[in-house]
Amino acid sequence: MAHYDYVEKAVNVSRREFLQIIGVAGAVMWTGVYVATDLVQDRTKYIKMRAQGIYKDDLKAKVRQSHNNPALNEMYNKFAQKPLSPLAEELFHTRYVDRTKLG
Amino acid sequence: MNHQGEREPRVLKHRLSSRLFHWGLVLGFLPAAITGFIIWLKQGSDDFVNLAMQIHIIGAAIFTVSAILYSFFSVDRIVAFIRQISDWSHSDLKWMMVGGGYAHKMILNKEISVPPMCKLNSGQKSMGVLMFHGGIFLLFSGWILYAFIPLAPKVLVYWFAFGHLWIGLFLGLCTFAHILLGIYNWSDFKAMFGDGTMTLEEASHHNPLWVENKIEPVKKECDSDSEVITACSTN
Repeated sequence: MAHYDYVEKAVNVSRREFLQIIGVAGAVMWTGVYVATDLVQDRTKYIKMRAQGIYKDDLKAKVRQSHNNPALNEMYNKFAQKPLSPLAEELFHTRYVDRTKLG
Repeated sequence: MNHQGEREPRVLKHRLSSRLFHWGLVLGFLPAAITGFIIWLKQGSDDFVNLAMQIHIIGAAIFTVSAILYSFFSVDRIVAFIRQISDWSHSDLKWMMVGGGYAHKMILNKEISVPPMCKLNSGQKSMGVLMFHGGIFLLFSGWILYAFIPLAPKVLVYWFAFGHLWIGLFLGLCTFAHILLGIYNWSDFKAMFGDGTMTLEEASHHNPLWVENKIEPVKKECDSDSEVITACSTN
């Protein structure tokens, strides 16, 4: 246990100072959150617009499913035999290794 | 026999919460600073640098938790600290011009008179300003760089990374100087890593204005298991 004979006088924060501190802290945090939200919304706006454009294109497209794609069907007929065939698995799937590199 | 008369009067310079926060910095900020240098210089193998980055992130987490806890439980110490690092006068300029007399003492082995200082001398105040503002920036930018790169704009991430690197390097060097000077000021070193107290004589030598104006005698009302002392002004 510490033995001491003197201690620093207590720090007094007046009501005005407390409100100033809370006000500044609140303003900084609110500004940060507002800027961050604004930036994220700006970025996602264009992503959403692109997605809507792609959906509109889909509605107009003649062929809307990959299994009806004539080029794909020809590739399977002439080369890879059928979806999930051994050759298709070997060529079109990858194997994963741990590539975590934080540094 | 008067037990009080057997030992010199002591003053509590660093409270328990401050000492615990300082330990948080030793265990959090210091490893982050050291590993920051390793990551920047890419010393060693890829695995070693990767390990350094993991230690850097753990150190940053410890630093963050310490700062948040200290902010919640010791608002008065933070207010006191900000007041101290904001209180500058001509004495500080004069102190800086002679380097606090440390160069004279270390190199020429002679003591010169320096303006009297409060709890923090001018050098410590400078360090305080740098660490307070720089530390907040490092914390904020570090977590953005760790977790929010996909969300943040590229320009912001670029400048945060730039600032995080250079402010981190600078504060790392300041920390190195802080450690050396802290060891040189052995009484304060013992106080910070010990029970927080130093003799009144040592405090009067290094911090005369603090002893004159900012401390008061205590009335000891404590149980044997606690360090809590009730302060009682004599005025």
